[in-house]
Amino acid sequence: MFLLAKVAIGCGATLLAAGAYTCREGMLNVQVDEQNHGGSHVHVWVPAALAPMVLHFVPADKLRDGLREAGPWLPTLRAFTRELRKYPDANFVEVRDPNQTVHIRTSGGKILIDVHSPDENVHIDCPLATIEDIAGELQAKAPSA
Amino acid sequence: MTSFAPSKFAVSPVRTALCSAVLFLAPVVALAQSAPAQSTAPQPATVRPAVVRTSSDTHDRWLHVRVDGDSKEEVVRVNVPLELAEKILPSINQHRLENGKVKFDTGDTHGVDLHAIMDAVRTAKDGEFVTVQAKDSDVRVAKQNGYLLVHVLDKSGHHSGKKTQVEVKVPMKVVDALFSAGKDELDLVAALHALSAQGDTELVSVKDEENTVRVWLDNKNESN
Repeated sequence: MFLLAKVAIGCGATLLAAGAYTCREGMLNVQVDEQNHGGSHVHVWVPAALAPMVLHFVPADKLRDGLREAGPWLPTLRAFTRELRKYPDANFVEVRDPNQTVHIRTSGGKILIDVHSPDENVHIDCPLATIEDIAGELQAKAPSA
Repeated sequence: MTSFAPSKFAVSPVRTALCSAVLFLAPVVALAQSAPAQSTAPQPATVRPAVVRTSSDTHDRWLHVRVDGDSKEEVVRVNVPLELAEKILPSINQHRLENGKVKFDTGDTHGVDLHAIMDAVRTAKDGEFVTVQAKDSDVRVAKQNGYLLVHVLDKSGHHSGKKTQVEVKVPMKVVDALFSAGKDELDLVAALHALSAQGDTELVSVKDEENTVRVWLDNKNESN
């Protein structure tokens, strides 16, 4: 019985540690809410540390087409996020008219993108470090790499 | 022979729990503590209020673009750190942009030698180079106190009471830097670098009946 207790505590501590490690980079949050009747509502919360790891398991042929398009911009994306992290929180883009608003800003090492329109509301919240890691992983998989 | 007294057994799981927790959490705590010191480490995901930096605590230069529509509800604000743009541009190699320089050929300028014109402007004394006063528009290009000034007043819509006024004020050092590359290219990175050395200045102002556009440079990371 004591042996079982030790095993349970060990497993619990491991899970706790794994959870803390996974969430230490924060969460990647994507929310898309279509406003029309019956519109879809997609809310995704993923531990930011997992996102670059998941790319290792995506088959190369599934990424090929996307990488051909995005490949040339990946070094720019990496450089952009790397540099952006050196700056204080700021509002980079704000577009507002009577029908819609677009807001791109950084806060606490994250990039926050909000789009509100009559058709849909989109909210993206992602740590800059995660974008840099994902861009790095994709760059390594890109055909030119 | 080992004693299995009940009192000793009661303490053992607690110790094991503490040891396990410390053992497993130590690397996480160490990672968390070392994170801010590493350049590639993530920032803690806490929500902090936006900080408005000014010249007192940083030398970062910010380029601001603001477009105000005729109603207060229409606003576009873009704030870009010049140093960020300076570092990003060389990584973009698309079309004519390569390593922070834009290539062009004589066809683009209709055979006009831009470098020769800029040399002439650079060596000329302050004064007006172009003055056009027409029924529909006024144009003035001048060099004054180290700035290249362009003033355009479009009066073509004066019947409807609509006029468009454009003011451009570019430091000559920026123009020099822009043309500092080869004959058929413009060095954008050098121009941004020269721009970042300038004081607070308004670069572009466009006003018409419907919109006001301002492009200016200062040390704040927010446009007011």
